[in-house]
Amino acid sequence: MENVIQLENFYFAYKRSDLVLRDIDLNIKKGSFTVIAGPSGAGKTTLCKAMTGIVPYYMGGRYSGDVKVLGESTKGKKVSDIAMRVGFIMEDYESQLVSLTAGEEVAFSLLNHGFAPAEVAERTRKALEDVGLPGRESYQLDELSGGQRQRLLLASVLAVHPEIIVLDEPVSAMDPDGAISLYKLVYDIHRRYGTTIVVVEHRTDYLLPYATDMIVLKEGAVVAADKFELAAPAMYADEVLRPLLPSLWQVKLGLEERFGVKLGDWRNEKDALADLKAQGFERRAD
Amino acid sequence: MKLTAFTQIIVTIAVTAWVFILPVEAVATILVLELALLLYIKHDKMTMAAIGGLAVFTGMMVLLQLLFGTSLSLALIGGLRMLVMTMAFLCMLAATRIQDIAKALVDRFCLPCEYAFMLTTALRFVPNFLTDSEITLDAQSCRGYSNRGNIIKRFLAYLVVIRPLVMRAVAKSETLALSMELKGFGGNTYKNMPSEPLGLADYLVLLLVVVLSTYPFWINSIQNL
Repeated sequence: MENVIQLENFYFAYKRSDLVLRDIDLNIKKGSFTVIAGPSGAGKTTLCKAMTGIVPYYMGGRYSGDVKVLGESTKGKKVSDIAMRVGFIMEDYESQLVSLTAGEEVAFSLLNHGFAPAEVAERTRKALEDVGLPGRESYQLDELSGGQRQRLLLASVLAVHPEIIVLDEPVSAMDPDGAISLYKLVYDIHRRYGTTIVVVEHRTDYLLPYATDMIVLKEGAVVAADKFELAAPAMYADEVLRPLLPSLWQVKLGLEERFGVKLGDWRNEKDALADLKAQGFERRAD
Repeated sequence: MKLTAFTQIIVTIAVTAWVFILPVEAVATILVLELALLLYIKHDKMTMAAIGGLAVFTGMMVLLQLLFGTSLSLALIGGLRMLVMTMAFLCMLAATRIQDIAKALVDRFCLPCEYAFMLTTALRFVPNFLTDSEITLDAQSCRGYSNRGNIIKRFLAYLVVIRPLVMRAVAKSETLALSMELKGFGGNTYKNMPSEPLGLADYLVLLLVVVLSTYPFWINSIQNL
């Protein structure tokens, strides 16, 4: 499968800091739904910034190695030009909304890149429709709820038709229902348009039904970068990383270890129950 | 009749000049017209509060002038002038979207886009800043912050609220800057926005502005005839 993002022996340190990323060597496959997990301070956000050209070219710092996005090195590229192909949503969604109305917010990037007004209007309409905010072009931002603003931010990224969307803990300030609904929407976009998705998330339970690949970071280095079902055991083997696995997979890998059985690729409770039943595990009343 | 943001800015600038060149009676008439216009455009609670606040501020200014020995008539004229000038800005803000004002400032007055964008950004982030200040105040109150004591004590105590608030604002501004960079903010931002062409109403109002602004010249010419 074609790689859309490639990091080759990438090292990075911010100005006046120690190494944040060490010898990162990984590939993100086209059309994948990749989850980046790891403890706080592992370098997840910096890795996202490296994928979008912000690190090191916007923020500065020391680096070695190379980052290739869609076959081209990010070296010497303008952040906004990379953003036309790789959408990036940071953690604090509130501070990323720069306009006063929903329509202006979505149109902002398009106008800056010189799209014709008719196309801007059409793309804005379509992007708002895609995120479940149809006809809200004239809404003031304070007329939208937190969840709707998060969706609006996603619409502003979608409007430029990026091939990759990188999301850095997009639901950290949301309630569980809002988080589930946003990830469902992201997955829907991934399926409908074939967009490659890269998500940094602490609460990996939300992403279990959708994740195809997983990158695990610890202290700035890659612990595992593979298909989800292959990376999860590496995470389980490390006691620090184990709690970051989806709860169902902690149970699954625990059972496999304890009873020496091979269980299936659980993506939800229904899969788990069916598999356990098939393996002869029985429900006990006590 | 809808005036473009450009015309409204010109009228506002002109009004601030007129208060110095037109007779007091004419300035007072402008004030009445401004009040009527403002209440016609918007008559919500916020507008009333703004008018009330301006009136109180004008009263304080008049009092201050009287305290420094200015005659009553001069103090009143000074207050009237200030009131008319600020009311003109209030009318402009009530009648025009801030985005249109920013665009007109960039397109027609060659204001750098960064400064124009500050106008909209300031308006966009005021509610966020107020929410943040409430959150910080509550958090620090839980940690023992109290606003009791004399004014100096209260000011010093308030520093524990100001410090984290400023840090939050700086962090947010960094995210905003990065977000603008990602979205390609720059010279094209205003250039590519749909522009407002001047209409008949704009030309008529601009003509009136020219006539009233040259009042001292043509009134002298008429008197000399």
